[in-house]
Amino acid sequence: MSEKVTLSVNGHEVRVAAGANLIDALEAVGIDIPHFCYHPALGADGNCRMCLVEIEDGRPPIVPACKTPAAEGMKVVLESEKIKKIQRDILEMELINHPVDCPVCDQAGECTLQDYYMKFDLGDSRMDVAQVKKDKRLDFGGGVVHDQERCVLCGRCVRFTRQITKTGELGIVNRADQARVAIFPGKPLNNRYALNVVELCPVGAMTSRDFRFKQRVWFLKKTPGVCHGCATGCSITIDHHREKYKDARIYRYRARHNPLINGYFICDDGRLSYHLENENRLETPLVKGVPVTPTEALDAVRTHLGQAKYPLVVVSPDCSLEQLYAAQMFCLEHGAKVSGYSAAAIVAGDGDDYLIKDDKAANRPSLNLLGIDTSREYLREALGHADLVITLNNDPFTDGADADLSEMMKGITTIACATHHCEFFDNADIVLPIASYSEYAGSVINSDGVLQRFGRAVVKNRPVPELLELLHALGGPVADMGAAWAGMRTAVAPLGAVDPDKIGEHGMRLEGL
Amino acid sequence: MTISPVSILSARFDVEDAHLLAVAREQGAYATLDTLFDMTPDDVTEEVKNSGLRGRGGAGFPAGIKWSFLPKDTGKPVYLTVNADESEPATFKDRYIIVRDPHLLIEGIIICCYAIGCHDAYIYIRGEYTSQYEILRSAVEEAYAAGYLGESVAGHDFSLQLTIHRGAGAYICGEETALLESIEGKKGQPRSKPPFPAVVGLYGCPTIINNVQTIASLPYILANGAAAYRAYGTEKSPGTHLFGISGHVERPGMYELPLGLPLLGVIDEVAGGVWRGRGLKAVIPGGSSTPVLTAEEAATVTLDYESMAAHKTMFGSGGIVVLDETVDMVRVVENLIQFYHHESCGQCTPCREGLGWMEKLVRKLLAGEGSHADIDLLLELCDNIEMKTVCVLSAACTMPVRSYLVKFRHEFEACVTEHSAAAQPAQNLEAAP
Repeated sequence: MSEKVTLSVNGHEVRVAAGANLIDALEAVGIDIPHFCYHPALGADGNCRMCLVEIEDGRPPIVPACKTPAAEGMKVVLESEKIKKIQRDILEMELINHPVDCPVCDQAGECTLQDYYMKFDLGDSRMDVAQVKKDKRLDFGGGVVHDQERCVLCGRCVRFTRQITKTGELGIVNRADQARVAIFPGKPLNNRYALNVVELCPVGAMTSRDFRFKQRVWFLKKTPGVCHGCATGCSITIDHHREKYKDARIYRYRARHNPLINGYFICDDGRLSYHLENENRLETPLVKGVPVTPTEALDAVRTHLGQAKYPLVVVSPDCSLEQLYAAQMFCLEHGAKVSGYSAAAIVAGDGDDYLIKDDKAANRPSLNLLGIDTSREYLREALGHADLVITLNNDPFTDGADADLSEMMKGITTIACATHHCEFFDNADIVLPIASYSEYAGSVINSDGVLQRFGRAVVKNRPVPELLELLHALGGPVADMGAAWAGMRTAVAPLGAVDPDKIGEHGMRLEGL
Repeated sequence: MTISPVSILSARFDVEDAHLLAVAREQGAYATLDTLFDMTPDDVTEEVKNSGLRGRGGAGFPAGIKWSFLPKDTGKPVYLTVNADESEPATFKDRYIIVRDPHLLIEGIIICCYAIGCHDAYIYIRGEYTSQYEILRSAVEEAYAAGYLGESVAGHDFSLQLTIHRGAGAYICGEETALLESIEGKKGQPRSKPPFPAVVGLYGCPTIINNVQTIASLPYILANGAAAYRAYGTEKSPGTHLFGISGHVERPGMYELPLGLPLLGVIDEVAGGVWRGRGLKAVIPGGSSTPVLTAEEAATVTLDYESMAAHKTMFGSGGIVVLDETVDMVRVVENLIQFYHHESCGQCTPCREGLGWMEKLVRKLLAGEGSHADIDLLLELCDNIEMKTVCVLSAACTMPVRSYLVKFRHEFEACVTEHSAAAQPAQNLEAAP
């Protein structure tokens, strides 16, 4: 553990990490110091002046908290009249040339400027001279639309492109109140993390073309989730909402801070992957292409299962750990073989040295952990004498290289338990729609061996079953999450000591994988 | 007592072609170098400390003490950066040194670098100094050619590279940390302090930043000793200073004077008094950022750091502006704020947004659309902006502006009253059939 120091805040003693700046140090003990420009991932810049605090007997007596390390015996004053006045004054300065177009601004409701105004200021405008006019609706590329008038020039976005992506597309040009964030002419944002600037922006200056004007943020329910876009498994917040008379849908993903995995950021592909949860979803069970009721579909599956001599289950590396375990137990129960082969999820060369991985599956390490065979040979051999294939959301044959496997499938009865339409699923003999990852709770293990749990975010008006429930309904022995964990803790050594209810918001690194 | 200029720094100013090495050397340039290399660097620093030489950039911090803030044995190079970004309105002293005696500056740089152990020095010269840059450049080239700069300075075991870096027209780059950013190729914006440049300066290394005139004062001190330098000036403000006297005087110009002389005496006897026989209204004592002195205050102040502080202003850069009785102080303030607003780097919120607001408020007053509340608001904004920022540019605006608002408030009030009077006939017109 890092060294601690004792300092006083408004006369009360607190113990905080030595050397951390006052914003971080005091945040850890629940004391917020207002700030615009400081961000823990981007460091202190000291330009907004909102975090000015008083240090009793300090020289100088007023310092920016973001630039001031916590030191033993320091007497910090946040509540003095002097500091409150400074906060009001800074907010007045931020606001004099601000358009105050909150009613049409996407940031309203989660805007630092708006929140601080309500918390610290509430003063009337004294600005009765002409405002500075700047440009609006600037297309910065990468799906980012910039409004220079709303901007508070904190420079977080600029620092992000310099320090994190190291692409440096953004800069602040001009001086004084003509200063503005800009791109170089003809050089738009061109990196795979660009939309993080929207999230970093404390005000509504950086908006996402994808999200702007779609939904007021105060309607959005925020559920912690895990991105299933690739093997990194970034922590995300799923913002979703059910509008009156409509079905629940997801409006955006945001990065959720996780020091074990993604820090404060996520990639744009992952951020926009929520569209896949909303679109092209399977909703109705089909038997031979004909819509049927869920009961009829299940009965049809039971009949096939009862008749099959050599059933084969193909699981997806995107299924949750609990689902995979339930599938494994289902196979034991029914004497079925189980394969986890899935080449289609690997996009060679797509990954980078930051967050994006070649492997687009969220939970491949769980296959190995549970001992599910992922080799092509095993699947090919099993297909050789299978008389029934049940695919659990695995579409392994889209890749041209697997044409031989597709060929082998012809003539074998196929049952597709699937989330989305695709040619393979749609042409299966029986199609059973199942819930996708935003609609169930579960766990995944990322490529770094970090186990994360996530909750159920979206509840549809007509929910389709979660895979674990479905497998149980088809005679699988695992009744629910609790039973899955009880079984796994006994059978799978690295999970033996894991209490699923104590995994925590950042997940945990599994030992002995 | 008769007041007349002295020639310590300016000894070669009136020598024709003294910017050329041959002429300057004939007149004694670089004569101190042999003495210099016989001394230890610490002896040099000690001599400068003893001379009491204070930084001539405006702040007046003792130069020798500043040098001693350099951390020892960091394993990093030490840099000297000479601040020739002379951009403070009414200030033109460094320009005289650069144009008339650049070798004095180079000699001073050698002395300073030897004292602080620097082998890489920079001169940061403001972009607008174009012809001045050419003179300085050829002087540096001559100094290299003659061996005063380079691998072995004047044949001694001491190497010194000197680079001239040109600014691009930003006042803020005269702020020492913005200057460092600019040399590093970044946007000229001041850095938060601490750390101070003596510890983390140019390229992250220990750095001394001194004004041109400070450095140019070193050869005299080394040649004649600290005591000789102290023979001029006062106990706490020793030495001489180049005073650029401009504005409404009969003989504006550059005058080298010992510190401690009475301001009015200097205006009358050196600069020929207020022009056209007019009365004196006010004096800007040391560049535009120093609070203004009324004629009454000007009568008691002397040209040194202590007297200026006692009169709640600053010695500043020695750029004295004399304002006669006809000057409209509201226009002066408009001019001042316009300058600082334009030159605000835009980094810190209060300065970035506030100075523009203040400028518009003054314009509103001048347009006859202002109110008494606007005058109070201007005063309040001075308080709200000042010292809330990374650097002191905002204070360089608000301190003088406040002084005009307080000392000449009646002129601002008049803008409001005249407007009310002007508005009266309009109402009558409306009432007329």
